[in-house]
Amino acid sequence: MTQELSMEVNGIRRTVEVAGDEVLLDTLRDRLYLTGTKRGCDEGECGACTVIVDGAPVHSCIFPALAAEGAEVRTVEGLAGSAGRLNPLQRAFVDQAAVQCGFCTPGFLMTLTALLETNSSASDCEVDDAIAGNICRCTGYTAIRAAVRSLVREGGA
Amino acid sequence: MQFLAPDTVEEALRLLSDRGDLRVLAGGTDVMIQRMTGQLPRSESLLYIGGLADLRGVSRSNGMIRIGALTTHRDLRCDRTIVTHLPSFAEAAATVGGWQTQAVGTIGGNLCNASPAADLAPPILVADATMVVSAADAPMRIPADRFFVDRRRTALPAGQILLEIEVPAPPEDTWESYLKVGRRGAMEVALVGLAARFSMVGNRITTARLAVCSVAPTPRRLRHAEEALTGSTLDEEAAAEAARRATEEVDPIDDQRATATYRRMLVGRLIRKAARLARQSLEIR
Repeated sequence: MTQELSMEVNGIRRTVEVAGDEVLLDTLRDRLYLTGTKRGCDEGECGACTVIVDGAPVHSCIFPALAAEGAEVRTVEGLAGSAGRLNPLQRAFVDQAAVQCGFCTPGFLMTLTALLETNSSASDCEVDDAIAGNICRCTGYTAIRAAVRSLVREGGA
Repeated sequence: MQFLAPDTVEEALRLLSDRGDLRVLAGGTDVMIQRMTGQLPRSESLLYIGGLADLRGVSRSNGMIRIGALTTHRDLRCDRTIVTHLPSFAEAAATVGGWQTQAVGTIGGNLCNASPAADLAPPILVADATMVVSAADAPMRIPADRFFVDRRRTALPAGQILLEIEVPAPPEDTWESYLKVGRRGAMEVALVGLAARFSMVGNRITTARLAVCSVAPTPRRLRHAEEALTGSTLDEEAAAEAARRATEEVDPIDDQRATATYRRMLVGRLIRKAARLARQSLEIR
């Protein structure tokens, strides 16, 4: 049995039929084909599946899809501007080489987007606290932190 | 299975009394994982109460601080009243998972799940909190130290939900904190979590409260250890005696995270650390 879910995804109203206990990650990837959001640990530990629901980062792999009824959901696909122009945070990730294999990157981008929207002058310490729920196994966190710092310094976040 | 999302508390309670197959879902950070791993049956329908704004938030009046059951960990660690008057709650909430977990996980969910490692349990135990629970006529009140019955079992009656947690504002000259040991700083289930609260009059501790998680099937107060500190100046000797008693009051197990022996040792260390920190903070000489 499926139920109707209506939410705004990256600014567009979407209505889909979902299973009662479906998680938001499955809805995004398998029904809306937004595969930028990654499935990592699948148990709310690694943060690869992070999306923003009504301003807060959530682990979409354990977030009930139907709890997003009426919500504003943002995924990594919503970050770039027209013609795929990277936004300042994405640009900073490239410039600072904060990406290696890239699997964790969408999650980091979404958590840091949520952080910078509420605190555009976040300190290293606040960045570390914000990304505690995101795991990167390639670069370590120094380059990621440097990417945020470059934005904070430019005041361009 | 069905996903039911009532708009009001009344409707949620009506659904609960009408149907016997509902699992109450708040933030879902625990329940969803338990369903996926087979600890909870996937045939159960879900009663999603996470959107009920009436049960979310912190208020303070007449010397009482009220915390709605659906107040998130993020709310707790950022709330001025909590940070100022009940810092152990804010500190505990800040150790639950990362931001993604704290943004949706709730204090009520953490307590009703009754994991032996529930981080918010030691703070409510040292704060003499009262659990306000729905009931057929007027809300029922359960003292925090009678709420945890067994591993993952609470005194919450079937078909009812936790509405709020009522906490008396602590007296002047009170120090409290939540100290947690894990294998790393973030995203960790407690090997031991200790909430400690000391109230002082003159230069003496008049009330000592200690409660722990992850060292027994339920979170619990350490009453013998508390007695060793009551009337003391939190000096080394009293702290050592409290630590010794505490290791006899806990009942830890070996599991994949740590051995019972190590946990027992940690309980003592944390009590001595709490006494030292409180002594400095309260400026006891």
